Amino acid sequence: MSVSVSVPTILRPVTKGEKTVTADGGTVAELIADLESRFAGMGDRLVKNGALHRFVNIYVNDEDVRFTGGLDTTVADGDQVTILPAVAGGAGQGR
Amino acid sequence: MPVTRYSSLLEAVGGTPLVGLPRLSPSQKVRLWAKLEDRNPTGSVKDRPALAMVAAAEADGRLRPGCTVIEPTSGNTGISLAMVCRVKGYRLICVMPENTSQERRLVLRAYGAQIISSPAAGGSNAAVAMAKGLSADHPDWVMLYQYGNPDNARAHYETTGPELLADLPTITHFVAGLGTTGTLMGVGRYLREKVPDITVVAAEPRYGELVYGLRNIDEGFVPELYDASVLSSRFSVGPQDAVRRTRQLLEVEGIFAGVSTGAVLHAALGIAVKQVTAGSSADIAFIVADAGWKYLSTGVYGAGDDADAAAGLEGRLWA
Repeated sequence: MSVSVSVPTILRPVTKGEKTVTADGGTVAELIADLESRFAGMGDRLVKNGALHRFVNIYVNDEDVRFTGGLDTTVADGDQVTILPAVAGGAGQGR
Repeated sequence: MPVTRYSSLLEAVGGTPLVGLPRLSPSQKVRLWAKLEDRNPTGSVKDRPALAMVAAAEADGRLRPGCTVIEPTSGNTGISLAMVCRVKGYRLICVMPENTSQERRLVLRAYGAQIISSPAAGGSNAAVAMAKGLSADHPDWVMLYQYGNPDNARAHYETTGPELLADLPTITHFVAGLGTTGTLMGVGRYLREKVPDITVVAAEPRYGELVYGLRNIDEGFVPELYDASVLSSRFSVGPQDAVRRTRQLLEVEGIFAGVSTGAVLHAALGIAVKQVTAGSSADIAFIVADAGWKYLSTGVYGAGDDADAAAGLEGRLWA
């Protein structure tokens, strides 16, 4: 199970500058474990005390995993995973 | 005939139309509805929280005649506050990222507001931090702080939510953009109380990399108002999808909306397709937060393909 993971600027020092990396796993937790095995330090930055870090958002095919099972969210071949830091939104909508 | 005469501009806030989208709706059973918040006095949904926050601060004595109001805002809230402060006689200072669109700055200055720019790198986070710092340095300034002020969400709980339900008693889904989270928290809570099976969906604009230029993850920011339990799901929508849907809304239904509405429509259409596939009926209402005027210089409404127009949004706060 190989998926493409988009890495935000802030985490690229960990991926040696790579913007997109591939990872193996059937769940988000397994993807993170696979990333940690190749990019040491990734796990600590994404997960705190067994849960997703408060200021980290992970999306599978643009949907926030906090609403689809969190770290247990399943991923399938070809899925797009995006990692983003939580930032203050705009005004449009908000915004 | 509904009453359309008001004793002052402030009373004309809210009461916006909900319009059907017969051409964009996928079927007779799955219908899309747009709440036109650009029809508020300054042209955005933010008139509601701005008025509510100022009124509450006056009521509890924080705001007195001659006071200065300071607020971190990337635009619409600032414009709404500028109008309310102008009408009520307060001085306003807006702290905003330097990459906010020129149109917004010009409107703010026209209303007499003062602008302090925060660095583009760091996005709204930097504006929030700078406004908090300035507020601490000037205890006599009043920061209404839209990201943590319960009156922001309350405005939507008391006005936007009831308006939606009165106009669309069969509502099944509510979709809005996620910024301060005030709209989603207020409307979401109201609808959850009244419509037990309601689905509340957030569409979060995904900006260019510059906007996420934090130095470390712990500098991240989640608005104090945010309560994930109000939401059913949350989608991140990139600039290309937002541009495509903004154009589609204009071309197919004649609605000239801002770019963040394109992101919201993208999420709403995704839900609509799922409902059709499931054979369900649905009435999906979404918020048009503002019109396209303030985004004309981005090139979103011009010729050229969606990808080129989306590239024009890179590094800018488009919602």
